[in-house]
Amino acid sequence: MKRQFGKWCAWAMILGGLYMAPRVLGVFELNVLLGTAIFALFSLSLNLLLSFTGLLSFGHAMFFAAGAYGTVLVLTRLSGFPLLPLIGIGAAAAIGLALLLSPLLVRVSGHAFAMLTMAFSQIMYATVMKLSHITGGNDGISGFAIPSVSIPVVGVVDMALEQNFYYFAISILGLSAWVMWFFTRTPFGSIMVGIRDNPERVTYLGFSVPLSKAIILCVSAGFAGVAGSIYALFQNMVSVDGVLGPLSSFSPLINCFIGGLGTFIGPIFGTGIGTILLELMSAHPEQAQLVFSLVLIAIVLFLPGGVIMLYWKANTRWMAVRQNIQNRFFKRRIYE
Amino acid sequence: MNDQHEPADHILTTRGLNHYFGERQVLTDIQLEIQRGTRHAIIGPNGAGKTTLFNTITGKYKPKSGRIFFKGKDVTGFKPDKLARMGLGRSFQINSTFAGLSTFQNLRMAILARRKIRFNFFRFLDKIKSVTTETDAFLRRIGLAAERNLPAGLLSYGKHRCLELSLAMAVDPELVLLDEPAAGMSREETHKMVELIRELTQGKSVIIIEHDMDVVFSLADRITVLHHGEILATGSPSEIKSNQEVKDAYLGEAEVGNAA
Amino acid sequence: MNAIAVMLITQAVHGLAYGMLLFLVASGFTLIFGMMGILNIAHASFFMLAAYVAFQIMAWSGNFWLALLLAPLAIAFLGILMERVMLRRIRRFKLGKALVLFELMLTVGIMVCIEEAVKNIWGTDPQIINAPDALRGLIPCFGMTYPAYRLFIIGLACSILILLSIVLFKTRLGNIVRAAVQDAEMTVALGINVPLVFTFVFGLGTWLAGVAGVAAGPLLTVFPGLANQMLLDSFIVVALGGFGSLMGAFIISMFLGELTAFGVQFFPGYSTIILFGFMAFVLTFRPLGLFGERE
Ligand SMILES: Nc1ncnc2c1ncn2[C@@H]1O[C@H](COP(=O)(O)OP(=O)(O)OP(=O)(O)O)[C@@H](O)[C@H]1O
Ligand SMILES: [Mg+2]
Repeated sequence: MKRQFGKWCAWAMILGGLYMAPRVLGVFELNVLLGTAIFALFSLSLNLLLSFTGLLSFGHAMFFAAGAYGTVLVLTRLSGFPLLPLIGIGAAAAIGLALLLSPLLVRVSGHAFAMLTMAFSQIMYATVMKLSHITGGNDGISGFAIPSVSIPVVGVVDMALEQNFYYFAISILGLSAWVMWFFTRTPFGSIMVGIRDNPERVTYLGFSVPLSKAIILCVSAGFAGVAGSIYALFQNMVSVDGVLGPLSSFSPLINCFIGGLGTFIGPIFGTGIGTILLELMSAHPEQAQLVFSLVLIAIVLFLPGGVIMLYWKANTRWMAVRQNIQNRFFKRRIYE
Repeated sequence: MNDQHEPADHILTTRGLNHYFGERQVLTDIQLEIQRGTRHAIIGPNGAGKTTLFNTITGKYKPKSGRIFFKGKDVTGFKPDKLARMGLGRSFQINSTFAGLSTFQNLRMAILARRKIRFNFFRFLDKIKSVTTETDAFLRRIGLAAERNLPAGLLSYGKHRCLELSLAMAVDPELVLLDEPAAGMSREETHKMVELIRELTQGKSVIIIEHDMDVVFSLADRITVLHHGEILATGSPSEIKSNQEVKDAYLGEAEVGNAA
Repeated sequence: MNAIAVMLITQAVHGLAYGMLLFLVASGFTLIFGMMGILNIAHASFFMLAAYVAFQIMAWSGNFWLALLLAPLAIAFLGILMERVMLRRIRRFKLGKALVLFELMLTVGIMVCIEEAVKNIWGTDPQIINAPDALRGLIPCFGMTYPAYRLFIIGLACSILILLSIVLFKTRLGNIVRAAVQDAEMTVALGINVPLVFTFVFGLGTWLAGVAGVAAGPLLTVFPGLANQMLLDSFIVVALGGFGSLMGAFIISMFLGELTAFGVQFFPGYSTIILFGFMAFVLTFRPLGLFGERE
């Protein structure tokens, strides 16, 4: 009962905080928050493959990029396209890409999966560069207006306003994260974890591993696409180095490892810590990545459970302390 | 080929199975006929090709030649998951469970398979009460209720072996292939294991690989002897015991004497 | 001789030189992977770092030969440190299947770390290493002239290749290494000090990358992005040549070197797409590579 209450309180605080954010934060801080949320969703989608299916992808950025380019291309070519379906287009583009690649990707795991995803993202990079008359190549596409949304009762909401876009984006991101969490809790989610632990046994229980992997890939890609789509709108631009650059696939991986492998919310912590690090280093931005990589190395070497392990450890210690206190104070009553 | 029906009382038939690893032939012209509802033992020395035979029947390896009929249907070349959905289960010689998951979660996976809950993305698994109760009931049945929340990797060897068997049986297969379920167990554990097998496989068809002759003779209705990838003899336990060729090749007088 | 033939042959020599460099890097990459099952993402970063270390030694001493001697040793030392201190540590964690993920991520971390450290120390501008005077200019041969430095690289790589083959195929140590590449567990069972052999191979592999890095200095411009290109190319070499196969690595390196040299002229931009597409198919349908033999 008490735990439930605590949980609700935490949720209320988080939601309240996110709701209040535009009122208390300046434009800059608000943008940092939204940027973090976007990359948190991107990392979460990668984590679906990494922690839950045991597949390490070195090319997850291609789905992010597919979402970003899909949205922007439709937005700039078809005028008057409404906003929400635009995000859907981003997701659909990423899912389409995943469907295209899945016949090859589902057949491998381990190192081969890592290298294969890397190869595909390189192909995508080269293709985007090659199609520069469509994609803008190195310069990318920028300077498009985000369409306004008309909601029946409220009226027309102008998305050029920072806080309006913030509310729109954060609700989609939050909803996506929740759907992914739900996904891991369904019967299929448990099969996913089974594939991570022992794919052969899963097969012999009668589940099709390749088909399941394809579904997971599509779901993961779809949410990466949503993140990419919102990212492009938020940045008001998309460029090949911005979404497919050398670190684009590695940084969500690093977030997952820093946060804590094997948990759902680890990547959120990891992304948050990354943002905080970046802000702390804002005086020396050229050294930020260096510090980031050192943190990653340190985490892998000394805290393989990730930062979230610290929380669990602290939590169990706190539980023990509380038990101790309770025992001391209520012992008498037990004996009476 | 597909319309070549097998007699209805045979749950599994193999016709002239051959399998090679590279150049080396490990299975030669295997003919098996498994009666529905019987327990059929396969015995043979180490390296005879017993596990390979299981892998071929369950579709992990594709035989170089020969046909496999399951429930009267030609299933040669079917993948293991498809065969599993048709009612063919197996357990492994080396424990192959979900080591990182709890005993409960392990079994729940099998129960999901039994209830054909495969691509369900729309409900909380924890909220599907019937799955939870069924899993817990099965845990009590196999005597692992106390280890419910222990990761399978931390179970004692005997209990882990029991879970391995249960993962195969909880799916409720019509025919199950058990690969040395009692391997590496003490006398006492073996005895318990035999009882568990008897309990769980009631009314099902079973093929069991086993080295322990006591287990074989107490469980099996029929026995096939495999030697260097070839079938040496098939028959009832008493026929096998008295088969001179088998004695020469494999059993040795003393062992048969003891078991009798 | 007509101009087109001269151009083609010159281009072929260019390709050969790059192929040789690539082979030096990829051979270490593939040996380490074949033996320890570690896909060292940071391997190409060692190559790049070696070029910078050589640049620094040159800046101090002005002697290319000194750089060629010392820089690879320094890199090998770093490699051994990485193996002994870091990789060995996480192997002790008993991570089971997740070990692969952690090893990969550790090497990713080291890769990023090296790149960023280089950017911080030497900046992002390209640096130039001058070839020693003896190797400048053109050498006439078979009625043509070739850039001396490229011929030097080819010669250097060939001598290392011969040395490497002697060590691997003629000595006891080489036998052990090859046995361990084939089957590490068996080698442990034979009572051989496998961890020591691991360290040796890791040191050897990074040393090779280091030699390649120094040699590449005067040929390519030295800049942090050097590692990226090399990493992708050695990925292709290892995936196509077969994990752990030196012969495969050699063939694919030569092929890739020539393809890079000619591809620039004949089908710019598409060579990446074709190559990686080909690599993807090989990885999926022939996971052991075109020349891999292991079961
Ligand atoms: N994947 C494989 N590749 C190559 N050879 C194999 C493979 N699996 C098994 N073998 C060989 O095939 C032969 C038969 O092996 P199998 O595992 O079927 O024997 P078995 O009868 O199950 O023996 P045991 O009683 O030891 O379990 C053995 O000689 C083995 O070495
Ligand atoms: Mg066997």
